[in-house]
Amino acid sequence: MPSLDSPEQETKSGLDTPWNVVVHNDPVNLMSYVSLIFRRVFGFSKEKAEQHMMEVHKRGRSIVWTGAREKAELYVQQLHSHLLLATLERTQP
Amino acid sequence: MTLQPTAEGDLLIEDIPAFLLQLLRDIPVRAASKHPGVEERFLPDPANDDGIREDWKALVQPELMALFQSDRETVQADLRGVAEKKKGAALRIPKNHSDAWMGALNQARLAIAEEGGFGEADMAAEVAPDPGDPRGMALFQVGFYGFLQECLVRMQD
Repeated sequence: MPSLDSPEQETKSGLDTPWNVVVHNDPVNLMSYVSLIFRRVFGFSKEKAEQHMMEVHKRGRSIVWTGAREKAELYVQQLHSHLLLATLERTQP
Repeated sequence: MTLQPTAEGDLLIEDIPAFLLQLLRDIPVRAASKHPGVEERFLPDPANDDGIREDWKALVQPELMALFQSDRETVQADLRGVAEKKKGAALRIPKNHSDAWMGALNQARLAIAEEGGFGEADMAAEVAPDPGDPRGMALFQVGFYGFLQECLVRMQD
């Protein structure tokens, strides 16, 4: 199982730089709600969703997925639809 | 006030006092705040990239706004079905509306917090807010909506 240091990564055969989906902390969203949304959007187990949620809470951000830009945009859109603060960032070469 | 899940998976809220009923009726109103900071919070930048931001504004943000409005309308419709009784009002949140309720409650909480400039310290405060002053009332409202949202989240497990 990938750890928090090696988030979900999509296998890529192309030369495109992968993109990270990053979730940022905000003081209002309920921790339980954030975990629920992680489970629904990424299909995480309850344990993995809570690990990422705690990383967001304690470190201010968590990389929850890495892969192709198109899919990363879709994930960010889904997270925004639940009012989570999420961005996509190009991975460092 | 009592909350209990029904056999069908709905959430039944009964014996709602007038004060809390007013707060429930306030959900779609607070969620539809026109405060400029609220729009910014509801529609954050997706990336530090002008091209992505422009596409997002044109293609994604209208969809998000429609979704947010749809959640508010679902909640408003359910609130029209509130039964006023002697002991207090009763509200049933149907299982298939729980996502809309969680969404609208989240909108309302975020909007109130944005308008009030609430930060980490306000949200983590262990002292009960004083509903007698406007800021305390706003914090109380955020907390009440959070309690309802938490109940709905727990029903998902």
